[in-house]
Amino acid sequence: MRFLRGTFADTTRRLGRRGFIALAGGASWTASVRAQGLPVIGYLGSESPERYASRLAAFREGLADAGYAEGRTVAIDYRWADGQYNRLPALAKELGSLPLTVIVAPGGAEVALAAKSATAKIPIVFEMGGDPVALGVVESLSRPGGNLTGVSSLSVEVSRKRLEFMREVRPTAGRFAVALNPRSPTSDTQLKNLQAAALSLGVELIVLKASAEAEFDAMFTATRDEGAGGLVFSSDPYFAYRSQQLAALAVRHKVAAITQSRDFPLAGGLMSYGGDFSQSHRQAGRQAGRILKGEKASELPVQRVTKVELFINLKAAADLGITVPLSLLTSADQVIE
Amino acid sequence: MKRGAGPRRTSLFRKYFATLFAAVVAPLLIAGGSEAWLGYRDERARLNDILNAEARLAAVKIDDFLDGIREQLGWTVQLPWSEESGERHRLDALGLLRQVPAVESLTLVDAQGRERLFVSRIGLNRIDSRADLSLRPAVQGARANGAWFGPVRFQDGSEPFMMIAVAGNRSSVGVAIAEVNLKLIWEVISGIKVGRTGDAFVLDGPGRLIAHPDINLVLRADEAGQRPFQALRGAILDRPGEAATGRDVAGETVLAAMAPIPSVDWSVIVKQPLAEAFGPLYGALLRTAALLVGGALLAAGLAWWLAQRMIGPIRLLEDGVTRIGAGQFDHRIELKTGDEFERLASRFNEMAAELSLSQERSQRIDRLKRFLAPQVAELVDRTGDDSVLDGRRVELVVVFCDLRGFTAFSVRADTDTVIMVLRRYYEVLERAVNAYEGTLIRFSGDGAMVLLNAPVSIPDPALRAVAMAGDMQRDVQELLAGWRALEGRLGFGVGIAMGPATVGGIGSEGRLDYTAVGNVVNLASRLCDSAQDNQILVDIVAAQAIGAAIPLVALEALDIKGLDQPVPVFAVGTHGTQPAK
Repeated sequence: MRFLRGTFADTTRRLGRRGFIALAGGASWTASVRAQGLPVIGYLGSESPERYASRLAAFREGLADAGYAEGRTVAIDYRWADGQYNRLPALAKELGSLPLTVIVAPGGAEVALAAKSATAKIPIVFEMGGDPVALGVVESLSRPGGNLTGVSSLSVEVSRKRLEFMREVRPTAGRFAVALNPRSPTSDTQLKNLQAAALSLGVELIVLKASAEAEFDAMFTATRDEGAGGLVFSSDPYFAYRSQQLAALAVRHKVAAITQSRDFPLAGGLMSYGGDFSQSHRQAGRQAGRILKGEKASELPVQRVTKVELFINLKAAADLGITVPLSLLTSADQVIE
Repeated sequence: MKRGAGPRRTSLFRKYFATLFAAVVAPLLIAGGSEAWLGYRDERARLNDILNAEARLAAVKIDDFLDGIREQLGWTVQLPWSEESGERHRLDALGLLRQVPAVESLTLVDAQGRERLFVSRIGLNRIDSRADLSLRPAVQGARANGAWFGPVRFQDGSEPFMMIAVAGNRSSVGVAIAEVNLKLIWEVISGIKVGRTGDAFVLDGPGRLIAHPDINLVLRADEAGQRPFQALRGAILDRPGEAATGRDVAGETVLAAMAPIPSVDWSVIVKQPLAEAFGPLYGALLRTAALLVGGALLAAGLAWWLAQRMIGPIRLLEDGVTRIGAGQFDHRIELKTGDEFERLASRFNEMAAELSLSQERSQRIDRLKRFLAPQVAELVDRTGDDSVLDGRRVELVVVFCDLRGFTAFSVRADTDTVIMVLRRYYEVLERAVNAYEGTLIRFSGDGAMVLLNAPVSIPDPALRAVAMAGDMQRDVQELLAGWRALEGRLGFGVGIAMGPATVGGIGSEGRLDYTAVGNVVNLASRLCDSAQDNQILVDIVAAQAIGAAIPLVALEALDIKGLDQPVPVFAVGTHGTQPAK
């Protein structure tokens, strides 16, 4: 016993603190997994666990639908980028080197692409708002091919509808501001999409770009300064995960804005229109479950979550002096009084 | 005693065993088999009914899904189109999108067939584009039949979509055309359960999978992968109204039935794994099989026991007979079965007892033969009873005969000639004795002693004795005619006497002779001595017994040594020569 303790202490001293933590962490992870003999999911998140909380809950529901419970029948090894999307490839590579059954890469095309470039062997389940075929993630929806499959919502495709809804709220306005994240792989297609919509709606677009929290404030200021009728957010996970922050800014700057995430109107913003992320993350959980059961990713078709939901916050509307037209109230899935 | 492992013994046991076993098992098998077959038929018919009912129910549910959408669409074609009605129509259309999640987009067409409104969840809405849609099949179909269902198409090669168009009851209200995402039938189809693990799926006219509890199979929109579904439908269509067996995608054998949805030319097929569907039947079959096996084992045991019981006595009998056959006559077969076997055993026992007796007797005769004169021994042997040798008193005829002048002949002739002459002489005598059933007691040189009526009684012994003596005289005289050249004084005489005498086996341990003791023997001997050549002398008792059957001539009475008075003598023939005194 004394001998063992001595050796252990020596090793610790030689490796130094960082080394020890890495060793201990790695050891504990392998030990626990080996001890339990459970299949392991690698979970790659672009943000922090706190920001992912509701998504993770939905994902775990999906796993439960397939008959898996974390810690009991499946282990999950998490990697978090904490909002620094450039860290995703390195984290994905880390997961790619582990003996995992499946990698789950939810929360947008960046995460999916990072995972895809990290491994061609371990099956990957993605969750994104864009078109996975157009983004080159899979070959086709019905037969994904390769080691990827997943869930796509219609969030990216419906960004033009957000412009349409904003126009209905502010029918007299001639120009609207559009928020883009230039680092998003879908920003170009979304911009084209929005410009085409603007043309058919007969409105002018002001394109504002932000890829960091520090740039958010400037977008709202610009919207107000340019006299735009409202700020339309393109679909982007970076924006979606920061709905509270955006809602606070919208309230502070008194800007009518619409985003993809229901979290935005729930936090005081005006409206949201986009895919139901609880559905898409739950679906991702089910897909992961099927792969755990031995199905091949290449033979699981990409699931499309067709539900698109409209949330309207009437209090925010009142604060902005907006009367929400009946047609919007009719279409709304949820109206927050 | 060696128990031979002969094949016949084994096969008899096998025969009995097989017969008894078959007698019990065959009816059992027939009963079990027919019950199983009838059970299978009934169960199959019952499953047929159940699955067909399930299929109809499932078809109604799917039809309800489509009908629900059609009905909702009906609400959007209530209001006639006018310049002011646009907003009302728009609210109706938006309301529909919110109400019916399966509708992805909705187009409203006015009485002239122009597009007045297009609302979508994904694309931008269009108001009053007035595009001419009057020639579209959806518009024409809805106008003609009130409702129109388009063909199924797979968007992006994956999600099934279908157009549903509904016309109002007046032409002025126009037509509503909805793009319907059929993926949402999943909620209906996944709710259909057949039995415990059975489910349902839907194929369209060309056989493409539209709805299945595993949505992935639908989204894969894979023609090769859907062949099992089509094969299953084909199997059902081959025999309409009947549940068919086939294989599902997973390769499991299933029982399936189908119900059509005529409005869209779809087929709703319900299936249940065969193993589950026939589960109760298999249980019953298993029980029957267990009973059959149990019954067969019982029958085998019973048959073995019975065969053993039948074979046991037979083996015992066989063993006993083998022992008896080997000479163990004291062996007795112990069988107390109370049936034919026991009777057979007692027959064998009796036989053994008799065999034992006869063996004893033959052993005794064998022993006697060693001592007796061959002729007597042969007699005893023939009669099979040596009691004839027991001493007793009988009315006996004694015949003595001898050659005259033989002693002188034997001195002069050489040995070979003597022996040859005697042999021929004995042959002649023996032949005559045998012909008249006399008992040749002995040859002694040229003489012989013969008894009649002992040891075996015969009728008319005196008459026979005389006839025998006549034959002897005739044949011996023939021989003598040839031999007189050698010795002129050769002659042959016979003496016969009748009377009571003691006969029996008389002798010592080493030598036993059957012979007669009494006056009659002496008398016959004396008569023989007195007889001349070619003469047969008879005493008075024999003469009286013969009576008139053979002519006799009374001669002068003879003095016999040992007797006080002369004895009356008779000679055979019509004239007599007085014998020498």
